Amino acid sequence: MTLGAILNAMRDPAGVPGAPGLFEALFVGTWVFHIAFVLLTLGACALAVAGFLLRERSAHWMRLSTSMTGVAKIGVSLLIVLGVAPLLFTQVIYDPQWYASNVLSASWALGFIATLIVGYCLWFAFYSKNEEAAKRPVVLYAVAALAIFLFDGLIMHALIYQSLLPERWMDWYAPGGVVDTSGARLHAIQWSRYLFIISLSAPAVGLFLLAYADYFATRSDIDPAYLTFARTLGRKVCVFGSPVSLMLLLWWMSDLPSDSRLVAHPLGWLLAISLAALAWLVATKSAPGRGYALLASGVALLLLLSAWREVIRVAVLAPLGYSIDDYKVNVDWPSAILFATTLVGVGGLVGGFYLTVCYQAGRVRGLYTAGVGVARLSSAAVAILIVWIATFFTYGAAIWVKNVFLP
Amino acid sequence: MDIVGAYPTFYVPYIGSAWMMGIIGVIHVLASHTSVGASFLFAILESKAYRDEQPQLLDFIRRYGVFLLVFSYVIGSITGPGIWYAITVASPRGVSGLIHNFVWVWATEWIYFTVEVIGVYALVYLIGKIDPLTHLKLTWSFALASWATMLLIVGILSFMMWPGNEAWYETGSTNDAFYNLNFFAHLGIRTGSMLVMAVVVGFIVASGMKDTDLKVSVMRLLAPIGVVGGFFAVMMFLYYLQTLPNNALIMLRSHLLPRYADGMIAVFVATTVYLLVGWARPQLVKPPLAIALFLFLATIGVWPEERMRESMRKPYVVGQYIYGNQVISRDAPGKGVLGEVDVIAEKGLLALHPFVPDRLRSVTDENRLEVGELLTKIACSNCHSLEPGAPLRSLPDKFHGSKDKDLIAAFLEGPLKHGAIPYMPRIDLPAAEVDAIASYLANPGDDRRPASTIAISPSDSKEN
Repeated sequence: MTLGAILNAMRDPAGVPGAPGLFEALFVGTWVFHIAFVLLTLGACALAVAGFLLRERSAHWMRLSTSMTGVAKIGVSLLIVLGVAPLLFTQVIYDPQWYASNVLSASWALGFIATLIVGYCLWFAFYSKNEEAAKRPVVLYAVAALAIFLFDGLIMHALIYQSLLPERWMDWYAPGGVVDTSGARLHAIQWSRYLFIISLSAPAVGLFLLAYADYFATRSDIDPAYLTFARTLGRKVCVFGSPVSLMLLLWWMSDLPSDSRLVAHPLGWLLAISLAALAWLVATKSAPGRGYALLASGVALLLLLSAWREVIRVAVLAPLGYSIDDYKVNVDWPSAILFATTLVGVGGLVGGFYLTVCYQAGRVRGLYTAGVGVARLSSAAVAILIVWIATFFTYGAAIWVKNVFLP
Repeated sequence: MDIVGAYPTFYVPYIGSAWMMGIIGVIHVLASHTSVGASFLFAILESKAYRDEQPQLLDFIRRYGVFLLVFSYVIGSITGPGIWYAITVASPRGVSGLIHNFVWVWATEWIYFTVEVIGVYALVYLIGKIDPLTHLKLTWSFALASWATMLLIVGILSFMMWPGNEAWYETGSTNDAFYNLNFFAHLGIRTGSMLVMAVVVGFIVASGMKDTDLKVSVMRLLAPIGVVGGFFAVMMFLYYLQTLPNNALIMLRSHLLPRYADGMIAVFVATTVYLLVGWARPQLVKPPLAIALFLFLATIGVWPEERMRESMRKPYVVGQYIYGNQVISRDAPGKGVLGEVDVIAEKGLLALHPFVPDRLRSVTDENRLEVGELLTKIACSNCHSLEPGAPLRSLPDKFHGSKDKDLIAAFLEGPLKHGAIPYMPRIDLPAAEVDAIASYLANPGDDRRPASTIAISPSDSKEN
């Protein structure tokens, strides 16, 4: 049994229900949103803690702490739900790697869930207590939660990194030829990769603060001095955080397998240049009103990072004889159409309605009354869901009757 | 076929990996069903608040919504992927089979999840901050989107039981897999149950409210919804029983109903009485009672329900084509899937399984017990714990602690080899591997009884 033969045998015999490249693109694309909220959440957690500890210096720190606590609270929800998609798509095309890695560290994979619940509950406790009169030990909730989030990130990192090392799986599963079915160990960590990705939380939250200051600029009830404070802080965090990330990125690149020639790959260097360019942009061009554009450029950088991860995966697995391009394909048009139409119809109209109304309501002091456009959007959101559900049942009933009564 | 696409094995002593899945699953079912059910309660209550100009009802929605954010959108949203992780490590080929059949359906559900998470924050935090009509439409769209997540997952879960006919095996189409025989019945059970759970949790929230008038009006509105939901769920459960495969019915009648039926009836009766009391005399419902009833429903209702659903599928985990022990049991020509049982019978797991150390690929006198343990874990541990007295269908207990290798081997070479037990997989192995397993199970590392005292009675073990 060669390793390549084993990897290919471990693929699901049902094949993939669409072009493998499409799933790869979805994997790369959806991971961007997931990691964006991971980084924002970690950055917001850190600022919430810092703000709490520095609250005696000025009221701005306290306000920032409260605000970032709320950002992190919602951020965790979103990073979890947005993490489902890349988790799903990676299992379609990299199922052997993902499943093997998880089983080999199964106790940690399960521990990830338990600790994430504990961490999130701790954060909620901090959220409910983080006010001006709160005593100093309250911050321990947040510190513990942040530590757990970082630890959970490390578990996820290890599971992913282990999936890139199939030649070592058997040594981990049966060290010395003695099988260990406990899944009790994390077997491999690439610190340079983990620390680089985590370090991006500084520029991420810095960029977020620039957009945050722009967003609330229209609110007459928010002190402009506080927004200036947030913008200045965001700029500093981004400008000083980016070089650290750049150093870690260079460490990661030097840490890549020497025979893969990845260190000379242009995408890695493009990522490094982009990071430096982003820091320069923020240092020199972050005047009020440019927050959204800078935030978008941060997302673009994450897209490069996501693509870079995939380049590494392909380069590492190719010599072993594994390529997604030769995965068996059994196209399933009905369910693919279901996804595409739901993405456009429900994602566009319902998701669009929610985001629009949240955005608009947040910029208004007092009651927000929907204008004609938002009112139409809200009606369309309800209507599209009714149509979707009606279609779902009508179509399903027809298939069910055909298969049950007219086989 | 020179390799079966199997994965390493993860084994949790005593409770097995199946219980890990069950524990996470129960928490998730409680949280997710409450969430979906509550979304409809919100929509109904808010419609009344809007129509009858009773804005105080929104106070209850806000209160319940904050509770939901923690209960459903912290615990529920984490245990959702949590189930996925648990299935992944317990049955990697099972989850792979589901993913490769339903990835687009799951991706569709993900769109709804994302919308739902944004929606719940918008719903809770925009009460009183946006105009009432827009908020009402937000709430209704949230309810419909939440239910859509249930519509989508139920098709996948019910396919895990079985497709119900030959269509999917021949076509490989997701249509035929998703809209399987027991889809609508299963959906009915969950839809009714979600309303019951949401009302029971709603009672916890309402019972703690200081505004007595509001508490009374809310509970009187919620109680009939719960009663009707519960009745509907029971009716659909009876219909569901008519859509099950033979192996499930045998398991149900011989093992599961004798163990769980009384509890299920008790849950139905107690919950109905409780809801009727809440309807007639809302002031009698206090937080301790409301919490106790919820815990009763969770432990005596949902836990057995989840365990039964898992057990009834046996010996399969997916669509009656993947066994619990990860072996593909039959061909599915529509997807080009080939059964593996016969090739394993011919060549053996030791030769075909990629995760067998080289020193264990041949059975010797020195490694027989070690090989036997590994093969037992591979072939049996998904459904059986290996320790005497363990709660997950303990294998030593199934053999009544026997040390008689020949007796155990006779079982392996007889009913198991020929697939004669409807709720167990057909495991047909070469003689050397059977001998290794029998040697391991008969290994007197513990205090097992001699064969002469054995009378076969499969329902003796703690869980069947």
